Amino acid sequence: MSYELIAILIFAAMLLMLLTGQRVFAAIGFVAAGAALLLYGQGAIEMPYNAAWRLFNWFPMLTLPLFVYMGYILAESGIAEDLYRAFHVWFGRLRGGLAIGTIMLMVVISAVNGLSVAGMTIGAAIALPELLRRGYDKLMITGVVQAGSTLGILVPPSVVLVLYGMIARQPVSQLWLAGAIPGLMMAAMFIVYIAIRCRLQPHLAPVVDDAELNMPMREKLKLARAGIIPFLIFFFMTGLFLMGITSLVESAAVGATSATLAALWKGRLTLAVLHTTVRRTMLISCMFLWIILAALAFGAIFDGIGAVRAIEGLFITRWDLSPWQVLLMMQLSFIVLGMFLDDTAMLVIVAPLYVPLVRVLDLGIDNVLIWYGVLYTITCQIAYMTPPFGYNLFLMRAMAPKEIQLADIYRSVVPFVLIMALAALLITAFPQIALWLPEQVRVR
Amino acid sequence: MPGPICSYVRWVDRFTGLVGLIAMYLVFLMIGVLLFDAITRNVIRMPQHWPIEFAQFTLAAYYFAGGSYSLRDGGHVRMDLLYDRLSERGRALLDVITSSCLLFYLGVLLWGSISSLRYSMETGQRLFSMWNPSVVPIKMLMSAAIVLMILQSVSLIFKDWATFRGKSIR
Repeated sequence: MSYELIAILIFAAMLLMLLTGQRVFAAIGFVAAGAALLLYGQGAIEMPYNAAWRLFNWFPMLTLPLFVYMGYILAESGIAEDLYRAFHVWFGRLRGGLAIGTIMLMVVISAVNGLSVAGMTIGAAIALPELLRRGYDKLMITGVVQAGSTLGILVPPSVVLVLYGMIARQPVSQLWLAGAIPGLMMAAMFIVYIAIRCRLQPHLAPVVDDAELNMPMREKLKLARAGIIPFLIFFFMTGLFLMGITSLVESAAVGATSATLAALWKGRLTLAVLHTTVRRTMLISCMFLWIILAALAFGAIFDGIGAVRAIEGLFITRWDLSPWQVLLMMQLSFIVLGMFLDDTAMLVIVAPLYVPLVRVLDLGIDNVLIWYGVLYTITCQIAYMTPPFGYNLFLMRAMAPKEIQLADIYRSVVPFVLIMALAALLITAFPQIALWLPEQVRVR
Repeated sequence: MPGPICSYVRWVDRFTGLVGLIAMYLVFLMIGVLLFDAITRNVIRMPQHWPIEFAQFTLAAYYFAGGSYSLRDGGHVRMDLLYDRLSERGRALLDVITSSCLLFYLGVLLWGSISSLRYSMETGQRLFSMWNPSVVPIKMLMSAAIVLMILQSVSLIFKDWATFRGKSIR
């Protein structure tokens, strides 16, 4: 049997196992362990366990539980409610102002958190009920919350970029800087879309009555103070890291501490809240880490039979594609695979196959791996949102109010996915959108 | 269900809960150690060389010891495209069958962890670093955690089997 055929068989076995609905980590781990024993015999029995030590040596992984913890604490702290009120008052008069405010809230939350879980929790718990109560169109706002929450992995800090950085061996600080402008650009695109759509179809977004918004300027300014705490957290966490004062993992600990202090200061930190947060943090972290552990073993076996070489041979030699066509194929295959494969597993299994390919492609871009990190993250964002397999969809279903149904959730993401695809195209056409900021910092 | 099975499930679930409770609070140990590192390095300028490695050990302990707890409480995500369309009983039966895959994976992990632990004990393996700690304690903990995960998986199989038979284990 040729190696290519073996690779395809292993991959197909994994997809089949996933379809049985067994836990993702067990499905992937089973295929990895089975393939190791079949292909390499008894000597390979340690392979799945050795992945734990590969993971051990990826010490930036420490940021994962800390960011998860931070996200949950921030959601509990009441910071988001204050911010949301401020955005509401400041943008209330605009058509669709509350939806726009929701996107802005998500940008701020993204800037203090590295995963999309936090944005999701906050959006579903605070923004969604409020928007529904005011008669906003549920299809649009469901999409707004989901699209907004994916910004969490593009606007620094970002756990996805940490993982990518470990796989592609690129400095995390440069990757984070590269994600900043594209993240803000994408948020701006969402806002423009909402504004235009609400102008054209005013029934989607009723205006807030004046009585609620009429308040003296002094009070309005007072509301803006809600931004102080997030700014401080951002400064102590991301700011100190980008200035080179704290290391990456230290900055995550500083962030977690400052979020805890903020919650304490707001008087929201009870023992019960703390316990729930710590429990949820472990459940989510374990889910991610066990998938990564199993996927690392799977990746090692996949790599061992020469899958990287096989894909390279297929794209470049056999199909004779130009570099840009190869890039297009890669991104498309991500989105197709994202329909079957869990997002974290995709990151750990597929990214190592593609990163070497990007390195040899002649795209004419300096720092091509930094740039690809951003493009890759946007593809991940799309994968997180496209059915049937996306964490955001899962979380949304679990957290959204009852009147929002699964079909609504699926349909609501369509326009936002198109906007994200447009953003990815823009960044491909103008790599400087991503690369300008990191270059400025490096020159200094 | 027979009495011994019920008490097995009860005891394993309880023990898993206890271990999980300890594991979940390790997140504060990680935060604390890394914060300590940030302060000693930047504020009082007395860099220590052990905190990062210590935090790495804690992370390994965290997700291995938390593994059985998240199995018990359904923390692991599933691909539910088809799974969700089944009845509760159908899901339970499918879980009983595919849990053999879970057990196989955990078994291979356990095998690997024990052979790796034995190697470390025989050679007195240490991390190659300034701090130079022994890896034996963490490997013991990892092996024990995998054993607990296997016990917990068996408990889940009993519970699923009971659900399939239309009974419940209390």
